Amino acid sequence: MNCREFTDRIDEFLDGRLGTVEAESLRMHLADCTSCTAELASIRELRDLATALPRSLEPPRDLWPGIEARVSRTKEVRGRFGRRALLAAAAAVVVVSSVVTAYFIGRSQAIVLTAEPRAAVESGPSEMLLASFEGLGVNNYLDTRTELLDALEARKHELSGETMDVVMENLLLIDRAMDRIAEALGEDPENEFLMKQLAGAYRRQIDLLQRAVRMPAEV
Amino acid sequence: MANFPVSKPAPPRAAMRVVGIPEIRENLVDRAARGDVEAFEELYRENVGRVYLLCLRMCGDPSLAEELAQEAFIRAWQKLGSFRGDSAFSTWLHRVTVNVVLGDRRSTARREARVKPAGEDLPVDLSTPEPSPGQALDLERSIAALPDGARTVFVLHDVEGYRHKEIARLTGVAEGTSKAQLHRARKLLRKALAS
Repeated sequence: MNCREFTDRIDEFLDGRLGTVEAESLRMHLADCTSCTAELASIRELRDLATALPRSLEPPRDLWPGIEARVSRTKEVRGRFGRRALLAAAAAVVVVSSVVTAYFIGRSQAIVLTAEPRAAVESGPSEMLLASFEGLGVNNYLDTRTELLDALEARKHELSGETMDVVMENLLLIDRAMDRIAEALGEDPENEFLMKQLAGAYRRQIDLLQRAVRMPAEV
Repeated sequence: MANFPVSKPAPPRAAMRVVGIPEIRENLVDRAARGDVEAFEELYRENVGRVYLLCLRMCGDPSLAEELAQEAFIRAWQKLGSFRGDSAFSTWLHRVTVNVVLGDRRSTARREARVKPAGEDLPVDLSTPEPSPGQALDLERSIAALPDGARTVFVLHDVEGYRHKEIARLTGVAEGTSKAQLHRARKLLRKALAS
């Protein structure tokens, strides 16, 4: 084992998650390398310090009144139409707006998936689409993404390694593109072109994940 | 010298996963999911400290942390129907909060407009013998001064106990990138703490 390999495995080693052979190999490297020994001690000290930090801090003001005002409004709507009806209505809006998104509803994990027409992908997001994204909020995108990744993870034994590699590689490419667009937007927040590009990237990523999750079993 | 808030000693990590008696929690969550605002307020009171501190550590800005903590609870209220009960409510809420903070980061319109403080509103645990208050304060300030990506990965990995695989999925970066950010964060922190 060399110093770079040591650095890659240091967390697994500290967490006791390395296999016997690898852990032994790492210990042998430590016996001969004063630099990595010092690195390990330093990281262990920092981790201990971080782990011992407080886990709770009351905010300077009570946040509940603001939360209550908003949840009470939702309650009124919920009480009138019911949660499932509300989500179904939201899904219908999503279809009209050509947005690709997913809702995981209830403890039974019922899934409502909607897909946009292919032409919309090629022509870029419409104003309505952008408005829809704004309405949905980026957090919804992240939640949907995480949930689809969970679904993909659950199916990965049914898909070939090659397929999984292609999917993950493409997700990464889109992530990098989104990071670059986000950075540019940081300097020019009102840039409509960049906003469209970002919305398009969100949509493509969800689309990619949905396609992967729906793929027939290969293995 | 700023007045630093004092918080109670941090319980062991395993204990953080369950708040209160599980049956009572389940009852509160079920009631809240059916639209009971009072039940949701109880859940809020029990969890707001942890949610707020997580937001504060991840974003480094007290006023933004308040907004994000509020948003996290509102998101939790909206998504209570998707809470399946296979983890503790506090664990699920933690994940919702992380998503809210990361979502805000992607919402770039306000990202660069905020001025990041140097961690002066972060807590110092004066009742715990190790680490010393001075060390903890130095660490909190140094964490607050980290670049966004490095701070996120350090807080999630070394403070909150997430693994790289999960961080990669939550933040949308590759596992290797998460490891590299952690390496960078630790290097910067050790340098800051040594100076």
